[in-house]
Amino acid sequence: MAFVALSEAEKVYIVHGVQEDLRMDGRGCEDYRCVEVETDVVSNTSGSARVKLGHTDILVGVKAEMGTPKLEKPNEGYLEFFVDCSANATPEFEGRGGDDLGTEIANTLYRIFNNKSSVDLKSLCISPREHCWILYVDVLLLECGGNLFDAISIAVKAALFNTRIPRVRVLEDEEGLKDIELSDDPYDCIQLSVENVPCIVTLCKIGYRHVVDATLQEEACSLASLLVSVTSKGVVTCMRKVGKGSLDPESVFEMMETSKRVGKVLHTSLQSVLRKEESLGPKRQKVGFLG
Amino acid sequence: MPGNNRRIRGPEESQPPQLYTTDEDEVPAARDPTRLRPVYARAGLLSQAKGSAYLEAGGTKVLCAVSGPRQVEGGERGGGPAGAGGETPAALRGRLLCDFRRAPFSGRRRRAPPGGSEERELALALQEALEPAVRLGRYPRAQLEVSALLLEDGGSALAAALTAAAIALADAGIEMYDLVVGCGLSRAPGPEPTWLLDPTLLEEERAAAGLTVALMPVLNQVAGLLGSGEGGPTESWAEAVRLGLEGCQRLYPVLQQCLVRAARRRGAATPP
Repeated sequence: MAFVALSEAEKVYIVHGVQEDLRMDGRGCEDYRCVEVETDVVSNTSGSARVKLGHTDILVGVKAEMGTPKLEKPNEGYLEFFVDCSANATPEFEGRGGDDLGTEIANTLYRIFNNKSSVDLKSLCISPREHCWILYVDVLLLECGGNLFDAISIAVKAALFNTRIPRVRVLEDEEGLKDIELSDDPYDCIQLSVENVPCIVTLCKIGYRHVVDATLQEEACSLASLLVSVTSKGVVTCMRKVGKGSLDPESVFEMMETSKRVGKVLHTSLQSVLRKEESLGPKRQKVGFLG
Repeated sequence: MPGNNRRIRGPEESQPPQLYTTDEDEVPAARDPTRLRPVYARAGLLSQAKGSAYLEAGGTKVLCAVSGPRQVEGGERGGGPAGAGGETPAALRGRLLCDFRRAPFSGRRRRAPPGGSEERELALALQEALEPAVRLGRYPRAQLEVSALLLEDGGSALAAALTAAAIALADAGIEMYDLVVGCGLSRAPGPEPTWLLDPTLLEEERAAAGLTVALMPVLNQVAGLLGSGEGGPTESWAEAVRLGLEGCQRLYPVLQQCLVRAARRRGAATPP
């Protein structure tokens, strides 16, 4: 992640503050920073979203393309993730520097979506064994300000909510040859249901307590974090310990309880914001990149 | 003619015939959810590596080798502020590089050696679980290389690799705070899901969720945790973590004996 230089005194200050449930910017241990979400920012994609969480800026584009289903799962489409850490985010990502972090984030995304209930993959099937929809989810890291995983998962959920997949029909003529027909109406699309798409909650252990949504400075004081991916119903789909340090078993259980609580609140507010934005329709004012 | 690709048009990709059979009715046998498979561990078997270990648990066979500490070509970076207690500054601390490889014949389908992102993910998981245990501050500007090779996958491969890597590090004489013991779990699909400790390959493939826990037994600290799938609510995952930690504690005496035997063997081989 980005490098931030902290002196010992600053680290002690942050740790003591967290013990008293008071962080550097005045938040409590379980509060998120102000999150800005905007969908439909890139016109060439099937769905896109931009999320700004403090100084962290993420742009996600989803493109739906037709392809052949995997051999083991002939009745389902699938998702492919790619994460690009651009050099704008921090100078360490210049050249191939950001590749390791990009692969780590992509692998985590594959893991959290690796179950039957997150996305209804059967709805992405066009004809079994022959054609299916493949959703290429491309994540672009524009600015790195701490807590990357949470911001990326929120952006992916918003982009999938915004994705419009054109409706296709498979026509079979007398000789048995199949032809794929795209509907004439450009607004005739299928929308994915994102009810069960999980969001990642990262809890960083600082001192004896844990904090949600750590900034870069707080991440520098924390030796170990727990990453929990939780859906709106409180179902956990992935758990991972990140960092050089170790965790006490009791801390692990406390962190899991916190993630469930925080995750539920995050999901309800995200759903309400996305629905409100969609209901404004084509007349809404787009903020874009300069707002 | 052998290798005449222009005339003989065959498919570009090859698949094993098992994919086309329907073996959905092969259900894993019912068993005690807390049983651990018997483990065979041997340290100090490779002559070319500083430390090595071989671990067998049921059908899973892992070989791990440690080399180093080797000097890093990183260049001179002036040390930052020294940590509390006079530790080496962060810029000068040693590094642990982990590599996880599967042999091409280890699973049901053949996998060519550059394994791709799954092996990198497991290598990162190995590194994150071993770092809390190794005293990297005692090896400034040095690099330790741990490479794990999975010879046969019989279920809970990552857990076995973690345990083998920790024994190999101890065998190499690297200073550690504690050993790291790994344990795998999986949750069977179905209406009343129970978490099974140390699953076999069949149980892992049919599972709805899987979890690997790494514990430092004496310090009682969780060194690593990696899990995914439809595990259910947090209480179910918490129960799984508890079961895994208990399994790790039960495995620890076996590893202690393995290291004692290896030390005796080394002592007998080099007479005073």
